[in-house]
Amino acid sequence: MKWKKFASVALCAALLLPSLAFMSGCGGNETVVLRVFNWEEYIDVGGEGSYGDDYLGLGKNAPSVIDDFEDWYEETYQTPIRVEYSTFGTNEDMYNQLKLGVTFDLVCPSDYMIMKLAAEGMLEPLGEEFFDKSDEHNYYVNNVSAYIQGDKENPGVFDRGTLTVDGEPVSWSDYAAGYMWGTTGFIYNPEKVNFNENATFWDTLLNPDYKNKVTAKDNVRDCYFVGLAIAYQDELLALKERFNSGELTPDEYNGEVTEIMNRTDEETLKKVQKTLVNMKSNLYGFETDSGKQDMVTGKIWINFAWSGDAVYAMDLAEEEGVELNYYVPDECANLFFDGWVMPKGANKEAAQRFINFLSKPENAVRNMYYIGYTSVIAGDEVFAYIEDTYGTDGEEESVPYDLSYFFGENAVINTSSDQLFRQLYAQYPPAEVTPRCAVMDYYGDADREINELWTKVKGETLDGWAIAVICIAVVIIVGAILLSKFGGKIDFFRTKPKKGYELIKQEPYQPKNREEK
Amino acid sequence: MKLRFSRKALCIPYAVFLLFFVIVPMLVIVFYAFTDRNNHISFQNFIQFFSDPTKLSTIVYSLVIALITTAVTLLIAYPVSYILARSKIKKKTVLLLLFITPMWINFVLRVNAIRELLNWIGLLGEANYFNTVLGMVYDFLPFMILPLYTTMQKIDNSLYEASADLGGNAVTTFFRITVPLSMPGILSGITMVFLPSMTNYVVSDMLGNSKVTIIGKFIETYFGSDWHMGSMIALFLLIIVFVSTIFTGGFKSEENARGANL
Repeated sequence: MKWKKFASVALCAALLLPSLAFMSGCGGNETVVLRVFNWEEYIDVGGEGSYGDDYLGLGKNAPSVIDDFEDWYEETYQTPIRVEYSTFGTNEDMYNQLKLGVTFDLVCPSDYMIMKLAAEGMLEPLGEEFFDKSDEHNYYVNNVSAYIQGDKENPGVFDRGTLTVDGEPVSWSDYAAGYMWGTTGFIYNPEKVNFNENATFWDTLLNPDYKNKVTAKDNVRDCYFVGLAIAYQDELLALKERFNSGELTPDEYNGEVTEIMNRTDEETLKKVQKTLVNMKSNLYGFETDSGKQDMVTGKIWINFAWSGDAVYAMDLAEEEGVELNYYVPDECANLFFDGWVMPKGANKEAAQRFINFLSKPENAVRNMYYIGYTSVIAGDEVFAYIEDTYGTDGEEESVPYDLSYFFGENAVINTSSDQLFRQLYAQYPPAEVTPRCAVMDYYGDADREINELWTKVKGETLDGWAIAVICIAVVIIVGAILLSKFGGKIDFFRTKPKKGYELIKQEPYQPKNREEK
Repeated sequence: MKLRFSRKALCIPYAVFLLFFVIVPMLVIVFYAFTDRNNHISFQNFIQFFSDPTKLSTIVYSLVIALITTAVTLLIAYPVSYILARSKIKKKTVLLLLFITPMWINFVLRVNAIRELLNWIGLLGEANYFNTVLGMVYDFLPFMILPLYTTMQKIDNSLYEASADLGGNAVTTFFRITVPLSMPGILSGITMVFLPSMTNYVVSDMLGNSKVTIIGKFIETYFGSDWHMGSMIALFLLIIVFVSTIFTGGFKSEENARGANL
C-alpha cells in the first residue's frame, strides 16, 4: 500500500514538472541563455580598480564586460540574453567537467586542450558567417592581429595549428577564436643577476650560483618544456646561429624550434627526466602562485613565469619600489594562447556574438587592463592604449619599439629604455623574439608517459632493496600487532606477576542489558 | 490506508545519505580503479601501482612523515592533556580553549601564517621536510589533545588514591593507571592524526615549496590527468585506513572505552 501511494506522488510530480517548465518558457519575449566557462579572473568584472573605474571614472559601479554584453546584445539584436558565467582553475578541471556532461556554449581552454577537444570530436567549428569581414558586427575577424590569424599567403600562429580531426588536418582558427596570448620566460631581479647582457638560457635554473633562488612552475607541461629546452640546448643554439646568419627564414626557424619542442620519443623522455631531477635539487621550489610575491620580497631572484603574471609581478614590484625585469631565454620560449571554442550542441549564434563583443577593441583593452595578459586583438584603440601606457612624449632617452608585426605597418612606439625588458617586452615580445616562440601541442599518445615522468620528478624514488627492507619491516610490525591483539602472548601494559603468584584472567565488567530478549 | 511510523523509519534519511555520499562514491572509486580509459575492466592500474618504485617510495616517505608527525604530536599533546586534566587550575577550560581555538581559524590561513613565520626565521626553502612536519604537527595538535583530555578527565580520582595507598609512586601510578586508562584516547588521537597527515598535501606544498611530495599530492595530480590511477591510489589509502581502524579497535563497540573514540 505504501508503495502505491509513493508511486502516485512520484507520477504526479513527473507530470507536473514539464508543464512547469513550459509555463516558464513562454513568458513574454524569450530570453536567450548563454553558458560561458572561463578561467578564474580572466575577464573584466567591473568595480573598483577596473578599467571603467580607473579610466572612465565610473567608480565602484563600473559595469562588468558581461553586463555590458547583455545590454549590447538586447540593443543590437532586440532579444534579451542572460549570461551564466562560471570559472575553472585548470584545463584538466575544465575537461573533466565537459566529460561529466556539464553543457556550455562557450569555453576558453588553452592551445593544447583545444587540440585535445577537437581531436575527440567535442567541438563545433566556427561558422562561415563568423569570418565574414563585411559584417560590421564581426569584430573578431576585423580586428584580430595578422600575427595571430592571417590569410593563406601569410598564415598566423593560429593558422599553423597541427590539429587532426577525423584524420583531416585542420588549423586552430577553424575551431577557436583567440582571446589572450603570451610567452614563458624569466622574471628576474636585475640587482641580483646579470641577465641578457650577452645571453640567457633555460639552464639558469640549474646554475649552482642561483641555488635556492630560482623557482619553476608546479605543472607538468611547463616543466617538460624547460626540460626539453635544456636537454636540446646545443641543437637549439645551432639553429639560432643559422637563423642569425640568414640561412633560415623566420618561418623555417620557427618550424624547426617547434619540432624540437614537441618531441616525445623515448630517448627524449629519459633526457628530460634526468634534467628535471637535476633541476629540482637546485630550485627553491615549485610554485603555482607564490612566485610573484617571493620575487617582490626578494626571497628569490629568478622566477619561471608566464608573461601575464610577469606584468602583474612587475606592477606589484613598482608599487613596492623594487625593480623587476622579464626576459625570454635565447634558445626558445613557449608561445601559448587561450581561445574560445564551442562544445558540440552550443548556441552558436549567441556564442559567436559573445566572442565578437569581447573582440571589440575597447573591450579588449578593458580585459587586458584587468587581467594583465595580451589580447589577440590589434585595433587602433588597443594600440592607442599601449602607446598611452608605455610611450614617452618624445623625451630624449626614448627608444623606438617596433610593434608592426602585431599591429600592422608603422606601428612603432617611443618608449623609455627601461621598458625594453619590462611590461612592454612581456606583453609584446620584440619581433626578433617571436621566431623562437613555439607552441607546444597536445602530447597525444605520450600523454600518459609524460605524466608518469612528472610523478617521478616530483616524488622520491628509493632503491629496490630499500623498499624490500621496509616491506619486511612493515610485515614484522603488523605481525607483532596481530599477535599482541589476538594471540594474547605479548602484552604491552601488564608486567608479569611475581614468582609464586598467578595472573587472574578477569572478564571485563559488562552491564546487564536493559531488556532481556 | 494508514501510515505507520516505526522508530526504524527515522533512520531512512541517514541511510539514504550514507548510500549516496559514502557507499556510492566508494563504489565509483573502485570502479575507476579497476577500469582503463575505455571503461573496460583492467588490472593494469593495479599492476602499475605496485611495480612503480616511485609510487611505493612516495608511500614510504608519506608513512615516515606521518609517523614522525604522530609521534611528535603525541609527545606534545600527552603532557598538555595530563596537566590540563589533572591539575586543579581554575578555569582550565580557558586553557584548553587556547589550544583548541586555532582549529576554528581557516586552515589555509594558518598554514600561510606559518609560511610567513618560517620565511622570517629563514627556514623556508632550506629545510623542506622539517617544515612539512612542523606544519602538520601544528595543524593536528588539537585533534590529539581533545580526545586525550576527554579520556584523562574521566579517570576516577579514587584510582590514583588507591595507587598511592598501596605504595605506588608517581611513576608507577602513571604507567599503571594513567597510560592504560587513556589508551582509547591515545588510539583515537593517533587515528585522527596519522591518516590525515599522509594526505595533507597543502602543508607539504606550501611549507615544503612543493619539493616534498606525499601520496595525497599524487592523488591530486592524477585526478588531473588519469582518474583511474588516481582512484587506485585513493583505494589503496582507503584500505590502509580500514586496516588500521581494525588494529586500533575502531570497529569494536568497546565496553571499556571511555567515550573518546570520536
